[in-house]
Amino acid sequence: MKWFIDSMLGYWILLLVVSLCAAALIYEIWLKGTLA
Amino acid sequence: MFDFLIAGIHVPIFLLVLTGFTVGIVGGFIGVGGGYMVTPALIVFGFPGYMASGIDMTHIAGKGTIATIRHRQLGNIDWVLALSMIGGTMLGVELGVRILNWTKSIGLSGIILLAASVIIMAGIFIYTQLETRRSHKKIDELSKEGKAIGREFTVSKMAQFFQRIPIYPIVRCRTAHLVVSMWVIVGVGLVTGVLAGFFGVGGGFIRVPALVYIVGSTTHIAVGTDLLEIVVSGGYGALRQSMSGNVDMCAVLFMIVGAMFGAQFGSIATSYVRGPAIRYILSYSLILATTGALLRFLYLMTGRKVEILSFFAVVFTLGEMIFLGLFIVSLVYFSVRHRHGRPVPPWIPALVVRE
Repeated sequence: MKWFIDSMLGYWILLLVVSLCAAALIYEIWLKGTLA
Repeated sequence: MFDFLIAGIHVPIFLLVLTGFTVGIVGGFIGVGGGYMVTPALIVFGFPGYMASGIDMTHIAGKGTIATIRHRQLGNIDWVLALSMIGGTMLGVELGVRILNWTKSIGLSGIILLAASVIIMAGIFIYTQLETRRSHKKIDELSKEGKAIGREFTVSKMAQFFQRIPIYPIVRCRTAHLVVSMWVIVGVGLVTGVLAGFFGVGGGFIRVPALVYIVGSTTHIAVGTDLLEIVVSGGYGALRQSMSGNVDMCAVLFMIVGAMFGAQFGSIATSYVRGPAIRYILSYSLILATTGALLRFLYLMTGRKVEILSFFAVVFTLGEMIFLGLFIVSLVYFSVRHRHGRPVPPWIPALVVRE
């Protein structure tokens, strides 16, 4: 876990994973079946 | 959910506010709009292609005015350069809008815009990477030779070539310190105008490098002059797009609300974080936007049958916006910690401003 904060690449990957997971969650909860 | 009657779809308001916020934050932070991300994002969220282009263009017109006033105060606008370009820009915007309306009439505006966006965003990503590496190499060479590194330098020799073209009238741009044929400037305006009118963008991502590498302007004059050009092209483009029925004003208003907050935050963040270093890192977020647009393109090409493509298109597009916001917010947080002498990750000091 320390590598994800102490390395810029690790931090980038951590944020990327968090962002994509958050987006997937928003899609499943809110957007599924509503977007054209 | 909100019913956009003109666009004929219903979309959650927060998607538009978030899109506006992200573009605002990038614009306030990096200086150049980021409008090229909006059109494909709106198509991914379900807007028809022509409507996405019209909405993008209209929201940019308002945003550019405020930034232009600021750059005028800073003396970053070369009026001779800007006025010489306006004719070409407006003609280009008109051509761009007509091309868009043609794609709308054959029912392929979404697919064509997405395909073109993928090519352009991938191009910008490769260009940013190459240019930054070239600049770093040049800085290293200058440092080794013990020479002073100025505020900026141009690695391209293209500008010298274009400044030697002897076609009259030749104009002298005093603020930008350059003498060049007016037709070169008009040509730059025309090409960027077509792109702006078609994609519904300000065109800064093409115009700024074109002004630097083709006309030979400095970057800060190029940014200021480009913003003035965006007000003109955005205003004219918004009018033409509205006349063509390509604008849903409700969507524009929601985006402007997000952009207002985003631009404020982006401007504040610049006093905490070093812009050029971040520009390089943030260019990677373009991979997400490009992937999102590409997946939506494939979804439309498969006749909207493969639902998983639409899912990943939204995840990548939305994920890119969340990523950008989180990245900038966390850098500001680390910068504040650094200023107060608290421990921060070892890679942070090189990216943040101490005082």
